[in-house]
Order: sequence, then C-alpha cells, then structure tokens
Amino acid sequence: MTLVIDNVFKKYPIRQSKTVVNALNGISLNISKGQTLGIVGESGCGKSTLARLIVGLESPTQGAITWRDNVLLRGSKNQWRNHLSPAQLVFQDPYSSLNPRQRIGECIREVISAHNLRKKEEIDSRVTELLKVVGISEDMKNRYPHQLSGGQRQRVSIARALAAEPELIILDEPVSALDVSVRADVMNLLVDLRKEFGLTYLFISHDLSMVRHISDVIAVMYLGRVVELGTWDEVLDNPQHPYTKALIAAIPDHSQVGQMDLTVSLEGEVPSPTNIPLGCAFHVRCPIAVPNCSKMIPQLLPIKSSQSVACSEVVK
Amino acid sequence: MRDLLSLQGLSIQTSSDKRSLTADVNISLVEGEALGIVGESGSGKTLTALSILGLLPRGVEVVSGEINFNGENLLSLEPERLREIRGKEISMVYQDPMTALNPVMTVGNQLLEVLDYHNHEVKNPESHVRESLIEVGIPDPERALKSYPHEFSGGMRQRAVIAMSLLLSPKLLIADEPTTALDVTIQRQILSLVSKQRSRRQMSMLWITHDLGVVANLVDRVAVMYAGRIVEVGTTKQIFNSPQHPYTQGLLASLPVASSRSRSRLASIPGVPPKPWLVGQSCSFADRCQFVQIRCRESLPLLDAQGSKSVACFYPIASST
Amino acid sequence: MKREKNWVNYYLQSTSGIVGAVLVLIMITLSLISAFGLAPHDPLEQNPMDALQGPNGTYWFGTDQFGRDIFSRSIDGMRRSLSVALLSVGLATLFGVTLGVVGGYLGRWIDNIVVRTSDVIFAFPAILLALAIVNSLGNSWIDTSVAIAIVYTPIFIRVARGPVLSVKEMDYIKSARVLGYSSPRILGRHIMPNVFAPIVVQVALSLSWAILTESGLSFLGLGTQPPDASLGLMVSEAQALAAFAWWSLAFPSIFITIVVIGLNLVGDGLRDALDPARRSTS
Repeated sequence: MTLVIDNVFKKYPIRQSKTVVNALNGISLNISKGQTLGIVGESGCGKSTLARLIVGLESPTQGAITWRDNVLLRGSKNQWRNHLSPAQLVFQDPYSSLNPRQRIGECIREVISAHNLRKKEEIDSRVTELLKVVGISEDMKNRYPHQLSGGQRQRVSIARALAAEPELIILDEPVSALDVSVRADVMNLLVDLRKEFGLTYLFISHDLSMVRHISDVIAVMYLGRVVELGTWDEVLDNPQHPYTKALIAAIPDHSQVGQMDLTVSLEGEVPSPTNIPLGCAFHVRCPIAVPNCSKMIPQLLPIKSSQSVACSEVVK
Repeated sequence: MRDLLSLQGLSIQTSSDKRSLTADVNISLVEGEALGIVGESGSGKTLTALSILGLLPRGVEVVSGEINFNGENLLSLEPERLREIRGKEISMVYQDPMTALNPVMTVGNQLLEVLDYHNHEVKNPESHVRESLIEVGIPDPERALKSYPHEFSGGMRQRAVIAMSLLLSPKLLIADEPTTALDVTIQRQILSLVSKQRSRRQMSMLWITHDLGVVANLVDRVAVMYAGRIVEVGTTKQIFNSPQHPYTQGLLASLPVASSRSRSRLASIPGVPPKPWLVGQSCSFADRCQFVQIRCRESLPLLDAQGSKSVACFYPIASST
Repeated sequence: MKREKNWVNYYLQSTSGIVGAVLVLIMITLSLISAFGLAPHDPLEQNPMDALQGPNGTYWFGTDQFGRDIFSRSIDGMRRSLSVALLSVGLATLFGVTLGVVGGYLGRWIDNIVVRTSDVIFAFPAILLALAIVNSLGNSWIDTSVAIAIVYTPIFIRVARGPVLSVKEMDYIKSARVLGYSSPRILGRHIMPNVFAPIVVQVALSLSWAILTESGLSFLGLGTQPPDASLGLMVSEAQALAAFAWWSLAFPSIFITIVVIGLNLVGDGLRDALDPARRSTS
C-alpha cells in the first residue's frame, strides 16, 4: 500500500460569520503504487482540499494520512516543511503555477539542486531530459512562462513535479483550464508518462469524461465524503449511487446529436459546506430518498469486491 | 424564411495597432433558429457576439461589415435606437453570473428596472417579474425578489440572469458561455431550462461556447470559428456526423466520448492556434493540418457554400453521408 | 545563440525613460559639481554690489538680493535636496520593505502590529507629521531625512506587503512549499523578485516626493536654514522678490520641476522594463 487516507476531516472555521466550512467529512481512500485513482465531484465536494492535505500544505482536523505506515501529517505542524514531499502537485491554472520571473529551465533545475537530487555536473542533462520527456525542446529552457502557451506551461509544471521524483503525482484539474484541442495532448502525455515511468496518479476533476479516460479506480465525492468507489468501468457501466447516475447523465454527449433530453436527472443544487444536511448529505436532492436517509450517515459499503457505495437504499 | 440576424463580412480590429481579431465573419440566423458558435479562446467568438450589441470593449472596433437585425443595420443606428433594441429585442446572458447582477440591488428591483427602463407596458409589473422567476425554476420567488445576488448560489444567479434576459420577450437571445462557470449537474439544468424556454417562445438564439458537447443537443446549426474566421458552418447533424474541415474533425476527435468505453489515445491537434493578426493570406489552420498542401499556404480558402453547409477549406474531408 | 535582452535593454527602448534618466543624470552631475566645490561661485558669498542682477554672462541665473549667484545656489540646493531624498527614501525603503515583507509573509500578530502602526502614521497629513518630527529632532539634513523617512516608511510597508500577500497565495508559492524549499529561499527567489518591481518604482516616485517634502519643509522655515541653500528655501525667500526679479524664483522652481519629472519618468520606465510580461509586447 502506498498511501492511506483514514477517516480524514477538514474544517475551516470562518471567524466573521462564526460558521465552519466542512470541507472533508470522514473520507477514507487508498492509493496503491502504479495505480491511478480518479476523484470526481462538483464544487464543494472537497476534492482540492484533499489534494492540499496529501501534499502537506495543510493538516487534517481529524484523521490521518499515512505513507507506507509512517504518519505523514498529524497535529498542527507539518513534518514535510523544508523536506521534499513524496507527493507532488500539478495545479489547474497554468498561469499562476509557474513563477513569472523564473526561466523554465531554472524552475526545474532549482528542484534538483535545492535537494541535491543529482550530482552538480549531471544537473544540466537532467533538466534537458525532464523537459524532453514532457515534450518541451531544450532551446526553450531560457524562456519565461509568459512566452509559453497554456499547454506548454502545464507541461513544465508536470516536469517540475517529475524532477522531485515523487511517489505520487496529484493532478488537480490539470486540463480544465486548457483549450479543447490542447487538452487531448496533455492527457496523452500523462498516459505516456505513467506507462514509461510507472507513475502513481491521483487525478482530480469535475469532468467525468476526463477522469474516466485515465483512471483505474474512480471515487465519486459529494460534500466531503466518498459516495461511490469502484473500477472505472464499474462506476461508468454500473453506477449504483443516485448521485453517480446523475453525474453520468449530466455529461453533454456529442456522440448523439439531436433533440435534447429535457428531463433533468437531478434537481436543486449542492448545499453549502457550511450547512451540510443531516444524515446522508445527498438526501435533499435524491430521487430515491426515504425518511430514514435524513437520520443516518450511510457508510461506504462493498456491493462487490471492488465496488462500494454509500447509500442505505442501494445496500440493503 | 427571412433572416432575423445577419452578419456580413464583419471584421474587428484593435484600434491602436490595427491587429485583426476577426475577419470576414458571415453568419445568418432565421427567426426561431438557434445557432452555436464554437471556438477556442482567441478565436473571436465572444467579440463577434459583443459586436452585435455594440458592446465591444474599449480599444477594439468593427472596421468593416454589416450587422443586420430585422432589417436594420445595427452598426449605423443612433445610440438611442440601439439601446431600445438591447434588452427589448436582443438580450444577452454572460458567462459569469456573479458579475452580471448588481451586488447592491435586490434581484426584484433589478428585474423591475428592466421593465421600467424600457417602458414596458404590463398591468402588474410585480406579478410579471414573479412569473418570470417561476418560469426559470426559482423556488420561492417571493423571497428571491427581496434577495441580493450574493444570497443566491451560482446556478440560481444564472437563472435570475436568464429571467432578466427573457423579461421583455426578446426575439434573439445571445448566450456567451453561460454554463461554463457552473457545475455539470447545474449546467444540465440550465441547458434544459433554456431549451424549453426557446421552444415555448419561438425565440432565436446565438449560443457561444468552447464546448462542442454543450451545443450538440441544443442548437440547430453550428458555426466553427478558428483564428478569427469561420471555418465551417452546417446543421448540427452535419457538423457532428460528417465534419469537413480538418479543424472541426480534429476538435471532435480530441473529445473523449462520455458514453464510449474505449480508452484509446485521444486524437490531438499538434501546436496551438495562431494569433489571428499573424495569419495573412493563407489558411489559418495550415500549420496544424495533417492534410496541408502547398496551396493552403499560398492563398486563403473562403467559406464555400454547398446547400446548408459551407466549409473554408481547399481540400475538405469527403462527407461520409 | 541569441542573447536574451535584460531589463536595461528594455528600459532603453522607452523614449520617456531615456528622457527621465537624462534629466536625473544632469541634476546629479550638477550636484556633484557643487559637492566638489566646482561651482562657478561660492553659493554663500555675498556681493552686495551685484545684487539682483538678471541672468548674464557672469551670473548665468542672475543674483539674489545679497548678490549671491543663483546658479551656484541652485545646484548646491539640488545637492542638498538629493542628499535628503536619497537618505530618507533609503531608510524608508530599508525599514518599510523589511517590515512589509516579513509582516505579509508571516502574517498573524507580527503583521497586525506592522499594519496598525503604519495606519497610525498614515493617519497624519505627511507634511504636518514631518514638521512635528523635524521640530523635535532638529534642523540638520540628517534630522530632516529621518523625519521624511518616518513619514514614508508606511508607504513602503504597503507597497511591499500588498504584493507579498497576493504572491503568497499563488500556486507557484504553494508549489515551492510542496517542493520543500526553505522559507528564506521562497522569500528570496520566489516572492521578492515578484514584489521587486513595484518597490523600485516606488523608490523612484518617492524620491521625487521627498524632494518636494524637503522643499516644503525648507519653505516653511524648517529643514535647511539660511544662509545655506536649498531649493525650497530659495523659492521661499524669492517670493517677495518675484515681482521684480523673476529669475530668483524661476530657476530654483525649474530645478525642482525637472528633477521631479525626471524621477517620475524613470519610475514609469522601470515599471515597464521590469515586468517580463509587459515588455514581451514590444
């Protein structure tokens, strides 16, 4: 087992309104080496918070994230400060994820030299190699980020993450900010890199069609909890949770042109994380809710060896 | 049928250094029709939409062409008449519902102001506004009227904006990526809502988006823009089932199909779109095109109409139908 | 391989930047001439016989009511004004930027103290505060500089702290933390280069304000004391004479104007040249 997320909670108190944002509410997940876990969910589901916790930018309010049986984060102090985290992050916005005053070659070189990952004389060739791996030619290494396209910047971000030789790469909406014709390129690159280097990914997105394309296992999140977990084809072919079903139905499908299906599978909107409904957080929008759903939080229970659902109406 | 809106040879440039942003854009829309304009960032789709209402940002101007709406050239209208047309006959919905509403005015007052400004004769403005909110699926309209925009969620805000844009029963609704900022399940609700309202009101619609998937089941025809020009126009079926321009085809192929179970490599288009002002007299897609020939670099392909469909390519992909 | 242009090349592409730099350099040269005693006349030497002469071959800018050479006094005044401006802005930059960056980066109570203190200083009108400080410190040029520095420190705190706060939230800073970079490295290599430009621009602009403030203080009878020359003091003394000896007022005023415009142009030029995104368009 590579990474174990065990019953993690994250709460952000808001001082002015004396409320609490419940970003994560008891989430448990495992990521094994060489596997790609896809996390899909809409705004407020806590997917980006989870990414920040894993890389150590923040600490969980409760619960533990362990890395090969060592407690990675606990309490208020984060033990990875000034150390290279074994999980690296690729951000959504290619415009703010690179230092605008640092040439891209220097951006990669700094990772290697700051942590003495290579001998001095090998650093140059390593930088060139990393850029080449992500499809950036060597003669671009003296450019500044603003001289690169969005797709190229995202490639540099990926190279920077690779330079740290991480155990896990977290991709937080890595293609959402890119133009459609460039997205495919970056997705293909991610798939190629995984094959070539045996990388482990946590791929986070609101876009199920992207998550579906790259993930081995998909976790569907809703308001800080996992509501369904399974291999990618199980989740897509045989979704069990009513929220997963709605999410799949909501993807615009361009393979079938014609009159739109006007039936809306899911009414209402995601409640605010400051005020999460009691019981199953989804019951207020759920088409199959029964009175009991507002009383108990359903646990993620297996329905098959590889697929689990958190719904008391599905798992009976 | 008569054209409700037609853009003829519309070219937009920056005022200071005369950089071409869109060139020779031709679009027509008959009454009751919905047209999708699809393009990536920088393709000129939003500028084209803004130019129709005379809302181009400072420093950008229409340098040639005509915009005819219902028999009037919008570019030569008096500001007075243009204001009358805006809102009353053409209304617009923007991408960001957060900034489309005035944060210091209640939603109710903003809706009433629209009626008031255009001297719209209705017996009971309050109940008219309330009905409009019910129509767009806002529960508890009484409370919504007294609420400020920040008390709404993103989806509710966009519903309120749509209610406002439909208030005066416009002939044409221009929507600029209205669902891009929303969650997928909310996007779905809004698309369904707009679709229903359009068929009920027999309203024309211009839907601007970067997302081909969104328009597939929403509009009657699609225009694909690339580097400031329209490269292909056709019925939605034609565009999606037998794209003829290599760019349209590449764009479609690069999208993972949601319902498919294949996970083969996504087809991709190498390179990035050129700046429209750097294209010159050649096909703007030539550098990225897998079928490129010498002719493509030497002259500019124009939109060549064949019935309901036109494509700006010297060597269009043979139609499969 | 083509050599990358550095910011100096970009600066030199802007006409207004060059004009500004030339104006400032002329004024610095004149100050140096005075500093080394190379002025055509002794700025303090009185020649009652030559009092109130208009500009002529001997006295290029004319003379004042004591027959002192206005040109020599103007460049000596410029020297004093520039010295005060440099020292005061230097001190204000040193303290303001340090406090602003530390407060902005560390946040919490340190930031609170920094912000509250600078708010208090900000609450006073600048010239009144400077007046009060000069009154309590004394009239030497160092006292004047310290007074102006105290007044300007909060400006630099703001100028440094604002960008630090926004840069700190950027993904590339988060990324630097995930990459395990030390705080000094993050501050020095990732935050400072991105807040450097506004600070440099502020320095150029503040120098021009400091010259005006020093002139204002001298004009009001504080700061430089007669018979020493200072541009502000000269303008103040010339007021009564302006009706019949225009040159006594005009030339010191022109000097102030030239150096202030020059520094402002330099500030604008630096702002454009130091921003890699802005200069890419040229």
